[in-house]
Formats: sequence, structure tokens, C-alpha cells
Amino acid sequence: MKALSFEGSGSEYFQIWIVNVLLTIVTLGLYYPWAKVRNHRYFHANSVLEGKNFEYHATGKQLFFAYLIAMAIFILYMVAVQVSPMGAIIFPLVLFLAIPWLIWRSLKFNMRITSFSNVRFGFKGTAGAAYVNFFLYPFIFLLAIYIVPIGTAVLIPKLSAAGSVPTWIVVAAPIAALASIVFAIYMFAFMKKKNVSYVINGSRFGQGIFSTELETKKFLMITLKTLGVSIVVMTLAFIILAALAAVTVGLSTVQAGMNNPAAMGPIIAVMYVGVIFASMFIIAYSVTRQRTYIYKNSTLDNDIQFESTLKAKELSWMMVTNLLMIMFTFGLAFPWAKVRMARLTLENTLVSTSGGFNEYMTQKQSEESSLGEQIGDAFDVDVGLGL
Amino acid sequence: MILGQWYEAGSAAAQPATLSFKEEGLYQLTLENALSYVGHNSTLAVSPRLGNVARKITFEDGSVFSTDNNDAIDKYFSKQHKAYSLLHTLESHSSLVIIALLVTILSTGAFFKWGVPWTSKKIAHALPEKTNQLIAENSLDFLDKYLFDDSNLTLKKKEQIQRHFYSNIVPLSKENREIKYQLHFRDWSDGNLSIPNALALPSGDIILTDQFVKLCKTQDEMDAVLLHEMGHVVHRHTLEMVIEGTFVSVAVMLIVGDSNGLVDMGVGLGSLLMSSAYSRGHEAEADSYAFKHMLAAHIDPASFSHIMTRMTEYMDGHNESNKRKKNELVEEEKKDILDYLSSHPNTKERIDIANQYSLCFKKGLEVCEVKGLQ
Repeated sequence: MKALSFEGSGSEYFQIWIVNVLLTIVTLGLYYPWAKVRNHRYFHANSVLEGKNFEYHATGKQLFFAYLIAMAIFILYMVAVQVSPMGAIIFPLVLFLAIPWLIWRSLKFNMRITSFSNVRFGFKGTAGAAYVNFFLYPFIFLLAIYIVPIGTAVLIPKLSAAGSVPTWIVVAAPIAALASIVFAIYMFAFMKKKNVSYVINGSRFGQGIFSTELETKKFLMITLKTLGVSIVVMTLAFIILAALAAVTVGLSTVQAGMNNPAAMGPIIAVMYVGVIFASMFIIAYSVTRQRTYIYKNSTLDNDIQFESTLKAKELSWMMVTNLLMIMFTFGLAFPWAKVRMARLTLENTLVSTSGGFNEYMTQKQSEESSLGEQIGDAFDVDVGLGL
Repeated sequence: MILGQWYEAGSAAAQPATLSFKEEGLYQLTLENALSYVGHNSTLAVSPRLGNVARKITFEDGSVFSTDNNDAIDKYFSKQHKAYSLLHTLESHSSLVIIALLVTILSTGAFFKWGVPWTSKKIAHALPEKTNQLIAENSLDFLDKYLFDDSNLTLKKKEQIQRHFYSNIVPLSKENREIKYQLHFRDWSDGNLSIPNALALPSGDIILTDQFVKLCKTQDEMDAVLLHEMGHVVHRHTLEMVIEGTFVSVAVMLIVGDSNGLVDMGVGLGSLLMSSAYSRGHEAEADSYAFKHMLAAHIDPASFSHIMTRMTEYMDGHNESNKRKKNELVEEEKKDILDYLSSHPNTKERIDIANQYSLCFKKGLEVCEVKGLQ
């Protein structure tokens, strides 16, 4: 097992980034595709495994026209949503319908345009499967979550208007609520497994096929553990913050503050920050557990293996410090934050290279349009698997 | 001689190789097994310089030579990529980077402070009057359905206010004859609280709430607010808000394009502050529109500050009865912080300006120079 490394530096990337921002501003946005290519190339080409690096092959010129179309769509969307109350409902719905397609196009384009050691990646997943994974499953999941509150909001007023509430409802309602919560949690784990499998099993490296065998049970365990950790961490955060508030401003002030929201201002602010930090740990916990499990069970041609050694403590510390850095420099530390995060994740990604990559060859692939990827970029559509 | 790795076209297998450049624009590639190829430099495709990432030189047959020796490559190929070598020069000189940084910060600031409102205003006024009708279409129905109830004012009262508005106030506006002003009355209640407010839709529909009409003690006070609302319509503020909002979201998307959720949080707050700053500008503009027309119509601008004060007191009074214990000092402090978030300019400032106009009025002037925020 060999770890990947990141060979860029924060100061070097800062210089590239600031020039990108400057040129994007003075060209009123027209430079953005070139800026995007330079950003992506910097992170791809500095990711190195055994002296061989990744490469991002798109050019600004190639992205430019699709970028203009994507921007036009984005501007139309923003205007339509603001201008008419109907547009504000219809257009987000259209976007929701388009998301699986955008994810699918992005995967195809991004894989095709990326190489490692001179060999291109590819993506063979289908659009239909993308709709099952990124529309049908989320839809069922949301349904399971909202069915209880919606049911309560619709049924209870109707029943109470009709007079007395039948006894069977009193018994059945909590059972139904519990069942739908259990189902929602199961559905969440199932959806995660399916989404990850879709992306990995569809991925290619030259003629090589990535494959993964995952179990819903494992994702369920991770989800349940994450819920447990959330409860513990949030309770701890609350106790510590309450104790801190009691010590620093005195209990009487806190009690008086309960009746006077204005006095609670600073305390609420501290609470807010505490909750953000706590939720970062929870996110990091969930991401690292899943990553470890997924990498361990994924291979390239059943030959080359992967491992993730990323730990929740390290990742959450990185997230917190990055956030603070960015906040206190009004965004100027963004390049360092990005480089630090890239270094941490790459150094914790291990690949068994015993067989080597020498047999891999780029396969003939049709040119992919970048339009879907760029619309996705404009609307910030992300698969969000944290791989 | 440049040391590097050579890949056959599309293959992951690499072997050590050297590349050297000869006179007359010829290159020589020598592989590990001593095989060597010679060709014209013009047939080579060289990837642009980017920091110190490995350079890729692609030969005619699709094979690739990869090297870390960026400086040597630049020596021979800086002419091939004039634009990119200029970019690299920009990126690798710290003094230039600092200048870029300053220019970026200043131009971003200027863009948001002046560029966005100025351009939005130009665009808003370049669009045909129909656009305003289009935005406002269904808006009143929407508000009626979700916010307003029917007015409880007597028909006589409503007719009296409308008659005065159409015959005395509407003719004061000479800027845009295309606007069809319509006056509506609605009740707006939140729990037990009846909210005093006046709203203008871009189509020229102005809505007065029952509580607002009740709070007006003189006709002048109501006229002041009506003129303020007409200012919003004449200056096309709704349209400007839409355009400003689009500008801000596009600019934000471009600058922090590939960020993550954590950065987005900060950006969201920034956009919120930005849009309330724009909206404060609009309120000030509508105020000064109202004051100027009040002077012309011989209405004392002080009546604007009277009704503003009464409305604020009414709302404050109601809030106070909700939470009995009130700590004066903290309340004051909170107000200062909330000012940044508020969509209306500081009430005290607005009243100050109203009083300056009122002084002009008392001197019998019809035009007035006022210092303050605009």
C-alpha cells in the first residue's frame, strides 16, 4: 500500500487563485472557464502516486461556449425565481428534476477529462440509473420523513373537527410514526449504498473496471452510530457551553436572559458556534467511517486495492481550522484551506500498487459535451458522496 | 538536456527519457534503450506552465514526454504560449500578486458598492414599462391570499382618501405618465397585532393597511407616505432589486465557484448584508423623492417624521407589552447591530433629513440642499 501525496503549496496556489479572481472580475466573468481549468489542473497535477500524477485535460476555449449557455440559464433562473411567485415554485422543481441528469453528465465529462499516468478515466453509468439513484431514492426517503408531520397536520384537524378522536388512531398513530422513522433511516443507508455503488461501478480507468461490493447493513450501522455520536456530542456541547455561560456571566444573568432575548445575544452566538463545531465533528465522523468502508471494499479489476486512513478527529480539526482561517481573513486564506484539505485527504488515501499500472491503456471514448457539468457547476449541484 | 518520463500514446507505462533541443528548431528525444527520434519543435504541443506542476509535451504520434523541469521547457517554448507565460509571470511575482490582490479587493468593493446599483438602475430604466406590469401581475392576488384580509374601513373613508389621492397627489408626479396609480385598502394582522404599513407594487398599485390609516393624524402625514411609495414606483426599485439580486448571486458564484458548504454559509450572510445595503439606498431615494415633492406641493416634510415616529412607537409599544422586562441599555445596543441588517435606514437619520427639509419649508423654499446619506 502506497499513499498518494500532494505536491502543491498554499502560497503557490494563492498566487494562481488571486490572479484567477482578478482576471474573472476585470473580464466581467468571461475568464471564468480558464480560471476553472487552472484551478482543476493545479489540484489534479499535484496529486501524485509513485512519481506519476493526475492531469485535467479540459481547456478554457473548450469550456467557453457551454459556460456561456450555462450562465444564461443560471441568470434566467435567478430572474424567474425572483420575478414571479409561480416561477419561484416551478423553476426549483424543474431544477430538482434535472439534478440526476446534471450529475450523470458531470460524471461522464469529469472522468473523461481526467487522466492518471497518461491514461484517461471514463464513466459508463446510465442516465436511467442516475434517475433511480438521485431522484427515486431521495424521493422515497423524503416521503418517509415527511409522512408523519404531514399526516398529523392533515388528519388531526379533520378528526377533531369531526368530534372525538377514535381510539384506534391513538394507538396506531405512534406506531405508524415509529415505523416511518425506522424506514427513513433504513432508506437513507440503502440510498447511500446505491449511490456510491452507481458511481464506483460505473467508473473506468483505461480498460480497467472499478468495482465495489457494499452492504446496506454496514451503512445502516454507520448511520446509527452517527446518530448516537450526534446525541452524545450535542449533549456534551450543550453542557459545556451552559457551564461556560454560568461561570462567565453568572447564572442569574442567564435566568434573567431567558425572559429577555436581547440579553441572550452573546450567549446565543457562542451556542451557535459551539453547535457548528459539534456538527463538523459529526459530519467528519460519518464521512470518514463511510470512506474507510467504501475504500476497503472497492477494487480496480479485482487487482488493485484501496484503503482510507482518514480519521474523524483529524478531518474535523481540519474543517474547524479551515473555517476559522477563512473567516478571520475574509476569505483570503481560502487557497491555503483548500491545499491543506487536499493534502490531508490524499495522504490518507492508500493504493496497493504491486501489479502496477503499466498494462492500462486509454480507451477510445466519444467527446463529451461539458454543458451538463457547467450547469451543475453554476447551480452548485454535487454528488456529495465525500469519496 | 531535459530529464523526464516518456509514455507511449494512451499507455500508462513510462520509461525514462531525455529531450534536447538543437539548432534550427529541432528536438531530439532519446529513450532508455538508446533509440532516438528527431523532429521539428513546431509539431510539439506543450502544456501551459502552471506553478510547478509537471509539464507534458505531446508528440505528433500522441506519445507524451513528462518532466518537472519547467524552467528548461520555458526557455524553448515561452513564445508558443505568450498569454500563458504572461499569466505565469503574473502568478510568480509576489509584488504583482500583491498588486493583483489590492486591485481585486478594491474592484470587488467598488463593483458591489457602485457598479451593481448603477448598472441595475440603468437596466431597470432601460426596460419597457410592461416589465413592471409583468412583475406585479398576480402579486396582489398572492398577497391577498396569504397575507391580507379585507379592509374594515368604511366605504366613505376609503372614497375620501382615494379622491384626495387621485386629484391632489398623483398629479404631483410628472416623471412618468405611463404609471397608473391605484390605491388599495387591506387589513394586515399578525396574531392580535394589526400592522401599520404602506406598500407599493411596481405596477403602481399602492396598498395602505387599516392600522396605517388609523395612525395617520393629518392628511399631510398620509400624503408624505404616499409620496414615498410613489418614489419607489418611479425609481423602479422592485425591478432594481431583482437585477441587483441576480448580479450578486452571479458574482458570488463566479468568485467562490468551487467552494464547499462552509464557505457558502459566510457567503449567504454577505449577500444578505449586501442586499439590505442596496435596499437602504432605495429607501433613502424614495424619502428624498417624497420630500422634494412635498416642498413643491407646500406640505411640511416634518409630517413624514411625525408618522414615522408614531409607527415606530406603535410597533415598539406592542413589542414591549409582550416582554415586560426591558433592559434599556441592551435594547439600545441591539438596535445598533440590527441596523446593519435592517432594510430601512436608521429611523433617526431619516427623521433628521426630514427635519432639514422641514426647515427649508418654513423658509418658504421649494428646492432644498440637504446633507446626509442619499
